[in-house]
Amino acid sequence: MATLKINGVEKEFAGGIPATVAELLGHLGIEAATVVAEIDGEIIERARFSETQLRQGQAIELVRFVPGG
Amino acid sequence: MPETIKEKLGQASVGIAGLGGLGSTVAAALARTGIGKLVIADFDRVDSSNLNRQQYFTNQIGQPKVDTTIENLRRINPDVKVEGHCERLNADNVPEIFGGVDIIAECFDTAQEKQMLVETVLSRMEGLIIVSASGLAGYGNSNAIETRRVSRRHILVGDGVSGIDSSGVLTAGRVWIAAAHQANAIVEVIVDEIKSDV
Repeated sequence: MATLKINGVEKEFAGGIPATVAELLGHLGIEAATVVAEIDGEIIERARFSETQLRQGQAIELVRFVPGG
Repeated sequence: MPETIKEKLGQASVGIAGLGGLGSTVAAALARTGIGKLVIADFDRVDSSNLNRQQYFTNQIGQPKVDTTIENLRRINPDVKVEGHCERLNADNVPEIFGGVDIIAECFDTAQEKQMLVETVLSRMEGLIIVSASGLAGYGNSNAIETRRVSRRHILVGDGVSGIDSSGVLTAGRVWIAAAHQANAIVEVIVDEIKSDV
């Protein structure tokens, strides 16, 4: 089964998991410039979102920042 | 306050990036708590539109936020050392400015700057813990603002969704709730983790 654990929740992808972090964000409709991504506890820099391959079963934390301070 | 906790806080150095509603409030809370040193940074000046939620006074309008924060913190607690940087932060100067701190608070306004700081700290500043904030605009719904440990070095405060763009307003109470969460998380990490062997 094609799954990723996103922010602690198992998510299934019927057509296979997105190939990269950038594709995952596109799938979720999240703007890359506002996101910090960690895969299995490792930070992924935004500049590497489109080259970072995703693998079945990885735990991904996507922290989306909204403005205000 | 027990001497051991007082000693741990007095030996700690905390970075505060951005001195708006979050940063000016986190700074005041930490100075009152007796943190040894604060490293503060913001490029901006106090504007009349800031006074609805930021810890400045009418006679400080037009002055750099770094200078006014130093002045206000001295009045709160003259024992706290404060190092001020009046400049715009970016991925290159963040590691230099905050290289010596034990923990850092992300207190910016825009989503892009928040992203830049958190990414820079987590990818380029080994071992440093960051307490960031996302989702504190609007009013009411106090209990939706929470503190969450995203990963070992990243603690996130806020409701995650209420931005100034969607909520349309920033109010003192709700911004301060988030700032208080940040200050409280920082004290917890200093006492229980960073200075646990003091």
